[in-house]
Amino acid sequence: MAIEPLAPARVGEGERSQGLSYQELLDTDTRTVPEVLRLQSARDLPVVRVPIERYVSREFHDLEVEKIWKKVWQFACREDELAEAGDHVVYDLADQSILIVRGDDGALRAFPNACLHRGRALKDRAGRSKALRCPFHGWTWSLDGRLQEVPCRWDFDHVDRDEHALKPLPVDTWGGFVFVNPDAAAAPLADHLGSLPRHFERWPLEKRYTEAHVARVMPCNWKVAQEAFMEAYHVVATHPQILHGIGDANSQYDAWDHFSRAITPNMTPSPHLKETPAEQEQLDAMMNRSLDAPPTVQVPEGMTARQILAQVSRMQLQGAVPSVTELSDAELADSFYYTVFPNFHPWGAYNRITYRFRPHGNDPHRSIMEVLYLAPYQGRKPEPAPVHWLDVDEPWTEAPELGSLAKVFSQDTFNMAPIQKGLRAARHTHVTLGRYQETKIRHFHCLLERYLEA
Amino acid sequence: MYHRADEGCGRVTGLKLRHPLSGAIYSRRDDGSVEVEEPDGSRGVFEPDGRWLRGELREADPHLLGFVGGPELASRRGPGTSAPRHTGGVPVPRFDGGATGSAAGRRRNLEMDLGLDGKRVLVTAASRGIGLATAQVFADHGCDVAICARGEAALTEAAKDLESRGARVFSQSVDVADADALKTFVTAAGEALGGLDILVANASAGGGPGEAAWQANFDIDVMGAVRCVDAALPFLRESDAGSVVFIGSTAALEFLGIPQAYNAMKAALIAHASDLSQSLAGQGIRVNTVSPGPVYFEGGNWEMIQQAMPAMYERALAQCAIGRMGTPEEVARTVVFLASPAASLVTGSNLVVDGGFTKRSAF
Ligand code: FES
Ligand SMILES: [Fe+2]
Repeated sequence: MAIEPLAPARVGEGERSQGLSYQELLDTDTRTVPEVLRLQSARDLPVVRVPIERYVSREFHDLEVEKIWKKVWQFACREDELAEAGDHVVYDLADQSILIVRGDDGALRAFPNACLHRGRALKDRAGRSKALRCPFHGWTWSLDGRLQEVPCRWDFDHVDRDEHALKPLPVDTWGGFVFVNPDAAAAPLADHLGSLPRHFERWPLEKRYTEAHVARVMPCNWKVAQEAFMEAYHVVATHPQILHGIGDANSQYDAWDHFSRAITPNMTPSPHLKETPAEQEQLDAMMNRSLDAPPTVQVPEGMTARQILAQVSRMQLQGAVPSVTELSDAELADSFYYTVFPNFHPWGAYNRITYRFRPHGNDPHRSIMEVLYLAPYQGRKPEPAPVHWLDVDEPWTEAPELGSLAKVFSQDTFNMAPIQKGLRAARHTHVTLGRYQETKIRHFHCLLERYLEA
Repeated sequence: MYHRADEGCGRVTGLKLRHPLSGAIYSRRDDGSVEVEEPDGSRGVFEPDGRWLRGELREADPHLLGFVGGPELASRRGPGTSAPRHTGGVPVPRFDGGATGSAAGRRRNLEMDLGLDGKRVLVTAASRGIGLATAQVFADHGCDVAICARGEAALTEAAKDLESRGARVFSQSVDVADADALKTFVTAAGEALGGLDILVANASAGGGPGEAAWQANFDIDVMGAVRCVDAALPFLRESDAGSVVFIGSTAALEFLGIPQAYNAMKAALIAHASDLSQSLAGQGIRVNTVSPGPVYFEGGNWEMIQQAMPAMYERALAQCAIGRMGTPEEVARTVVFLASPAASLVTGSNLVVDGGFTKRSAF
């Protein structure tokens, strides 16, 4: 079941596309580029092949639950879902269910979502309550987990209050996200995140509100789904309509301890194209312009599509983002997609996107993909959008709050069932990963390997 | 054998893109299918999911197909308000918001975007009839709604229905004639929904004889609307889509058979809306009136009239040029449009929605 190292990775000349490198593109910026975009990680990841079994077997799923999901810090909800004392959220994954509660003292606590009497889940869904009362017989705990009330106390002489306090699980926050860890002995969240907070210093995600939150059941393993969002290699075949305006194969990929990053430049032509498109064509591709329609935005003489796009974004962010005029073209035009092991994908700069992927129950052939739009705002923080659930056969376009990206997600989703089908039908044993463009996926599987061995 | 584009089911009307690598041109047809033309001139027509329909080209890039032909952004649409069973014998045309009725009802034409998603709307007297239908259409268009009514039971029912359409709902049982209660409700609604963008003053004391009716129509139809606007103004000013709709009546425009307070008070309301449209325009708030003719629904006035005064009912029905009375949903859709950012240029108007019930030329 192990991954197979083939050769140490070196990215030197000739090992990436011939196009403009991302660092070269940054040199053309009209503003000072933040240091974090200049970072490049060491490239000592072994090139790997991944056993297909990891995507299709129930045994491997069970192993994943034991070795990863029960051990790792995971994004459970946004902090604004727990604004007031008594607010609670139920976070479910495979057979695990964790209840996260805001206490009267303002602190967040996480408990296994199970009654200490006869085991019923304490809460079925998110809500607000003064105490945690089990609906079966009414045993009640205070928000901080102390046993408060047992109906017919005389019948439970043998029940010691302290012993029957809810057992807290590690919970912590970063960037407005609430993380939990089912392992009571886990190392702190900060250790897991490593230098990630430094990367986001300029784009504080805690200063965002949840503008949209769509969850969709996917007809594939959760890793199949998430790996489709960890590289730009698929753009040429899956999203050909945007090639004029995306430097897909010029993307930069990096990996650090528990997280990795891809940067895909936009408003710069794909190296796949045989002819270099005009600046206007690059913009049109992004705006999905019809051949016979007039352009929505015209690129003025002497400016590039990239500069125009950045300028338009600066105008849109005016007011909601401080010192917006200092943001570099890169931060306004490009895609910075991070992956924090195992399943959390916040995007850098002002792209709004955060993804999360997780198994759907214990079915290795199903998963849940979530898209959150975290938007900057002016004035009072708006209420977070409630989760909009889509079933496996409901297209993303059923969620109008996703806007024009829904169509792009639909193109990605178009591949999911056929990937799972192919993996189940396969007679070969491993999938093969590219040396550079699939760096993030290789990094993920190296970490997975490490957890399995622990 | 390939058929010309204008034969068979649909013409090329929508998006046209060139595949940046293959050079093929993809165009969307009005029936949702996609026409592909390769650089060598070979053509084919496909379902958006890639299934071949006709033409000599048998396969096309399914990803680009999906992009050109995929389902349009579907607006949140609940299971439309049911039409009343009795509308004078003429079937009510179904409003299907742009569904083309083709393949599995999945594909939609480009719909006019009312710009209502996420807007916060207050509708008074919204547990039944026009008020309820209006709140429902707003909810179906992605709005959050605050509603009030006098009866608790019907109000709870209405709130549940609106919630099932995906709206956040704030509801309170309020007597609109009670000035303090009304103002408290409007303020609480604005706070609960985090603001108000749209106000629909719909409450009415209805028709009736005598001095008591004058007082009731003044208190509820006129002052109810005036007070709602007063209390809602601080929120509407904050909105970038502030708009107010009063529900008037054709009874204010033409003689209905009996002189009543209702008719005169509705006229006062229309005049006041017109004044407000001028005074509030500078603050970005639009004010309009919708004046419905006879609207028939179960438990509504016209059902009662039909039973109690069949002759009057028949007369009114005969006067409806379209041969039937209106439905609450038909009035609601007009209110929603007028209130929406899509009607951004319309203010100070009194829109008559009566199926030709009134006979005057509306200059
Ligand atoms: S080409 Fe990548 S999975 Fe087939
Ligand atoms: Fe994609």
